[in-house]
Amino acid sequence: MDLLQPSSLEDVDGGLVVHGGTEVVPLLRDGILHADTLVDVRNVVPRGISGGVIGAGTTLAELEVEPQIPAALREACRLAASPQLRNMSSLGGNLLQSTRCWYWRLKYPCRLHGGDRCHAAEGEHREHAIFGNDFCASAHPSDVAAALLALDARLRTSRRELAVADLYRLPDEGNRRTTTLEPGELILEVELPQVESSAYLKAMDRKRWSFPQVGVAVARTGGGTRIALAGVAPVPWLLAGPEELDRATPLERTAWKVDVARALAGRALAQLP
Amino acid sequence: MARLIRTEKEVEGNFEEIWLVVEEDPLEQWPAGPLDVVGRPAVRKDALERVRGEARYTADIRLPGMLHAAVLRSPYAHARVKTIDLAPALELPGVRAAIGPGDAPGLEAEAGYAGAAVAAVAAETFGQARAALEAIRVDWEELEVVVDPEQAVERGLVHGEPERYERGDFDRAVAEADVVVEGTYRTQVVLHNSMETHQSVCEWVGDRLDVYTSTQYVWGVRSEVAGELGMPADKVRVVCEYMGGGFGSKNSAGEYTFAAAALSRATGRPVRCALTRREENVAAGNRNATIQRLTAAARSDGTIVALGGEFVNALGWGGWSASTEGPLKMLYACDNVRTTRHTAKINTPPMKAFRAPGFVEGTFGLECIIDELAAKLDVDPLELRRKNYASSNDGTPFSSKNLTQCYELAQKHWDRRHDVRARSDATWKRGVGMASQIWYGGGGPPSYAWTRVGSDGRITVVTAMQDIGTGTRTAMAQIAAEELGVPLDRVEVTLGDTARGPYATLSAGSSTTPSIGPAVRAAAADARRQIIEIAAQRYDLEERVLEIRDARIVSADGNLSVALEEFLEILGSAQILGKGARGPNPTGMSVLTFGVHVVEAAVDVETGEVRVERVAAIHDVGRIVNPLGAESQVEGGIIQGIGHTLSEQRLLDEETGRVLTTSLDAYRMPTIADVPEIVCEFVDEPDAHLTNLGSKGLGEPPIVPIAAAIANAIRDATGADVHELPVTREEMLRALREAAKKERRGSPAAV
Repeated sequence: MDLLQPSSLEDVDGGLVVHGGTEVVPLLRDGILHADTLVDVRNVVPRGISGGVIGAGTTLAELEVEPQIPAALREACRLAASPQLRNMSSLGGNLLQSTRCWYWRLKYPCRLHGGDRCHAAEGEHREHAIFGNDFCASAHPSDVAAALLALDARLRTSRRELAVADLYRLPDEGNRRTTTLEPGELILEVELPQVESSAYLKAMDRKRWSFPQVGVAVARTGGGTRIALAGVAPVPWLLAGPEELDRATPLERTAWKVDVARALAGRALAQLP
Repeated sequence: MARLIRTEKEVEGNFEEIWLVVEEDPLEQWPAGPLDVVGRPAVRKDALERVRGEARYTADIRLPGMLHAAVLRSPYAHARVKTIDLAPALELPGVRAAIGPGDAPGLEAEAGYAGAAVAAVAAETFGQARAALEAIRVDWEELEVVVDPEQAVERGLVHGEPERYERGDFDRAVAEADVVVEGTYRTQVVLHNSMETHQSVCEWVGDRLDVYTSTQYVWGVRSEVAGELGMPADKVRVVCEYMGGGFGSKNSAGEYTFAAAALSRATGRPVRCALTRREENVAAGNRNATIQRLTAAARSDGTIVALGGEFVNALGWGGWSASTEGPLKMLYACDNVRTTRHTAKINTPPMKAFRAPGFVEGTFGLECIIDELAAKLDVDPLELRRKNYASSNDGTPFSSKNLTQCYELAQKHWDRRHDVRARSDATWKRGVGMASQIWYGGGGPPSYAWTRVGSDGRITVVTAMQDIGTGTRTAMAQIAAEELGVPLDRVEVTLGDTARGPYATLSAGSSTTPSIGPAVRAAAADARRQIIEIAAQRYDLEERVLEIRDARIVSADGNLSVALEEFLEILGSAQILGKGARGPNPTGMSVLTFGVHVVEAAVDVETGEVRVERVAAIHDVGRIVNPLGAESQVEGGIIQGIGHTLSEQRLLDEETGRVLTTSLDAYRMPTIADVPEIVCEFVDEPDAHLTNLGSKGLGEPPIVPIAAAIANAIRDATGADVHELPVTREEMLRALREAAKKERRGSPAAV
């Protein structure tokens, strides 16, 4: 396997992009990703914070201690993974994480892998989705994505600008992907609009180093309050309001997540001044 | 004089009669309490080596020319290899040998679980070996898969006949009781997940086989390997100098050892076979799941009159059926007991012993139903336990039992419950729960040790035992230092090599200190005796007036005080050699360990989060050799038990029988952030009937009561009955809903 370390965007041409490696390396090891060439983009993707613009190469560890970053994003970073992983993992990479669905990780021929059934829906799914789960029941693992969705962040990629909400799509029969990112397209920057206040709460089954069972991000601007959830759907999930949880579509063993989401949403909203 | 005796040996609650050669052991026990070295906290002798990365684990062994093996495992939960073609693998780069079913013990044509070893490849690199596995062509015949343990029992898919036990008249006692409580309790499959995965490096040196392996029993691996390979045992050398955890899962050789040995023989080169973390989560053994249908019956005065249990041990394809009913039979005085234990044989990975097998699971059920009984009787749970105290093990006297003192020490922690409850608020409910502990841990013979005293006055203890990470090296050095009257830093311990020292028993069943400690003391005493004898001759004094104190030979009148190294200078390069043997356990007595945990827990009733906030652990394991090491054992057991209680579970896909939780983000052990305040207390009273040391083992006791104590704290906090482990948010919220329903039904206002 070759490792390329390009110094400019123009030199990025093909190959499997890797930044911190906390996601790509395990997927390579488990034979889910395959590559002849790895492209380390750490010299290409901007890193650092400038006003409301964050380089997508900024690590979670850098964001969690930065006072000018809204609380929801700071907390989402702080509660993610372990210190070692947060020191390595980039903001952009975190948004592109694959699901922790064990069937997908173990290469069952599930719908996300192009197959014709959702093994989780019929099998062991106690940690799976409560929304958007009729085609694929996987849960999106990114705390950070939920925070950015609540904050209504915008992304600048190597090809376009888009709302973070538009980065994600529910997989369907015709297209099994969960993002709209095109091959070779890199997330370069994240732009945060001004918010008055925000918060992120997370349910885990141990206190640290756990993907969200349910993560709830809330953000308030003059225009209203946005609520976004992690760990409840194949993509980060925007909630029109807490009452929308009444319309969740949990699987047999995921109804508990609705209760947890309801409690955390209530608490997160109550935290906002 | 050597004596040949017939004695009973216990490991993990299994008893066997053995012949035993014992030497006279005239040593009186030391007085109770802290001595000069024994009973005083000692930092591990190998602490610096470990933290500096200098300690050489099996995972660190890199022999010149060493090849790496990878194991092909069955993708099916039940299947038979019809044909297998290894040739394509052999053509790949770096591959040096490949073996299939029947070529090594543990590589089998019938796979009884997904993950069963079928074939193995050795290559120059692990990557090459792993790549070669994919080239092996296997034609599988798929067989019927059964993963439901109750269905397996119904269909007669079992390991052996049901185990039945009865004393008194259970049915009559239940019928005549004032209060009867019934409940079904379930425990899940949990994994050992040792930091060092299961692994061996094998090398043939002429007709001798060297086995470097991560094991709890170097001698067991030696005889197993010699037996399987048809070799004289002394042609097999087994080495395990440092070991990264086993918890019961490394008591035998394993397919990785046999594969490495066979591949080494085929290639003439050393071969390393190490499970990956993914394999470790599948094929390294587990604590089997249980189903426990329990009955507890009492008179209104709180006398327990009947205890009954129908147990199913969901064993998987292999393993052995531990005594899940043990605590129910032994913990309380109860005249009428009936138990049945079925052992299901299902197409899941095999059980291996896991830190107090059976008793961890059984104590969860028993100590929960005892609390439910207390609630129904409206009796204080601690009072109920005191009232039904067992003064014998169904007629057999205990060699020592200080559970009453444990309860006394627990009282001050138990008394905190009013304050703890008062700290509840609208979402966080707090409560206190307790559970008692009973388990084996007396150890037994045979085990031997040698001591070597040099002219520099330094002592080496030589015994081919293993330190599985529990601090045994330090404890053994403390015992020798105490007996020889020298400070701890004068003593080194050589262990972990069957070619370098006498036989010592396995490190399992909380048996290391009580089994090998007395042999070490005897060996040290033998050397001390010789030193005193020659000092008496040298200084023309009577032996009885001489002793070794603070590394000096001193006479009772104080006229002689000579440093040990000064006196022993006369030896030159020669040495004083001592030897010692472990004597038998007391006949006609039950040697058991006892304890109690008091847990403070908080439950978020809206999100189902459970936090263990404080654990007070009081244990009675005879004399404590190293209080610091003992506290570490207790903390480790509690942390592992918190994982068992709250977050760890091995999940299977029912359709394919494959393990789903193969990584440490899916199989969730507690992190240090989950660790509560832990308060350790010991009765520290030597068992007067047990060996020259009076110590029992502590490896397992601390994990035994913790799950029930947490569940009982949850009930105290919320009124919810938790009957199933782990207590995930899902289970906690279910139990809370159930409790709310019960409350509504019970309350006239709701009708």
